[in-house]
Amino acid sequence: MENLLEIIDLHAGIEGKEILHGINLTVRPGEIHAIMGPNGAGKSTLGAVLAGRPEYTVTSGSVSFNGKDLLAMAPEERSWEGLFLSFQYPIEIPGVSITNFMKAAVNARRKAKGELELAPAQFLKLLKDKMAFVGMKGEFAKREVNVGFSGGEKKRGEIFQMAMLDPVCSILDETDSGLDVDALRIVADGVNALRSPEKAILIITHYKHLLELITPDVVHVLKDGRIISTGGMELANKIENDGFEGING
Amino acid sequence: MDRIYRVGIDEVPKRLTLNEQEHLRLTFIVMPGVSAEVPFEIKIGKAGVNLEIFGLYLSPRNEQVRFDFTVRHLVGGAHSSQQFRGIVGGSARAEFDGLVYVEQDAQKTEAYQENHAILLSEGAVVESRPQLEIYADDVKCSHGATSGYLNPDELFYLRSRGIPEEEARRMQMISFISPVISHLPEELKEQILSRL
Repeated sequence: MENLLEIIDLHAGIEGKEILHGINLTVRPGEIHAIMGPNGAGKSTLGAVLAGRPEYTVTSGSVSFNGKDLLAMAPEERSWEGLFLSFQYPIEIPGVSITNFMKAAVNARRKAKGELELAPAQFLKLLKDKMAFVGMKGEFAKREVNVGFSGGEKKRGEIFQMAMLDPVCSILDETDSGLDVDALRIVADGVNALRSPEKAILIITHYKHLLELITPDVVHVLKDGRIISTGGMELANKIENDGFEGING
Repeated sequence: MDRIYRVGIDEVPKRLTLNEQEHLRLTFIVMPGVSAEVPFEIKIGKAGVNLEIFGLYLSPRNEQVRFDFTVRHLVGGAHSSQQFRGIVGGSARAEFDGLVYVEQDAQKTEAYQENHAILLSEGAVVESRPQLEIYADDVKCSHGATSGYLNPDELFYLRSRGIPEEEARRMQMISFISPVISHLPEELKEQILSRL
């Protein structure tokens, strides 16, 4: 099967400091990969670089996505191509409603693909369906983006956006952090429902909890900017028991 | 009462005195292309007055805008707030002189004043000179002023959802000015948003 995402010897950093020292990672359609690692390992940097955060610089290596050069694309182009990053800390946009935010996002992608904008009724139906999918009530659509959201609501909001944009590859950056058991369950159910043979998910996390609810096909350990170990769920179990110190390349 | 002044179009009073207990909301709007001096002084002479002043200035090119605002609390027990927001680009210049004056007998006064601006270019200039002159001792007063560029974290968040950079910046501007336009009539709000 064709690779969906292929990262080869990726070196990247911020403000002249290299954080990723040669990442190699191949993700095929249908696969779920977990990337685990201690604080400062470069997990969030990897997510940010893949999504095209302008503050980060790629110094060498390549990333292909759907056979295209991902690193040559602007962040919005990566989204149109089907990449989605669930933010660890979703950003507040006061004065902009969820409805207007999502309308702009959905229609921008349709326009980029040469499709007509969704008719208002079609859009509202999509919005309602996806809100119900993550258990958000009707007034959620009118709320300002992430303003006054609880930690759990913010993360559910990210999964809602993911469902709205229907990406082929989703990166969940510590979507589980700060969630209680119920919120974790809602997020996991949402992600599981979005699984399909064509789609892939990259789960960046510290802990095993989310991986017990969304079983990954592959588990990687990222440490000091390198993937030092790759295995299955048993690797996540070993980390839970022995900590990251016990994992060696 | 709600009064809206579009600077350069509507006649803007230079002085007002409030001697009735009332809730008054004044909005001053400076649209792109308008250069103006806006001197304004309001005296609060009645307890229980609630005065809200909103100001918006959109100066993207080479406009010169200067607000010179004075709010005088002559009696106690009144409330005033001033909230100004501006977006300044090109070689435009916006100045804000704001004085809040609280008379010695005007106890239990509450007075707030803020001016926040977004700079779209390095050549744009915003100067804020807020002043509090307070002679009463039992009051709540504050002022604040900031100027800065559009937040890069917001911009990246919007773009990561597929919103093109230009449109994302526009959404950020809408977000920024929303506190001073959210109460305006739909039609005027649309007019303002169409000029961003």
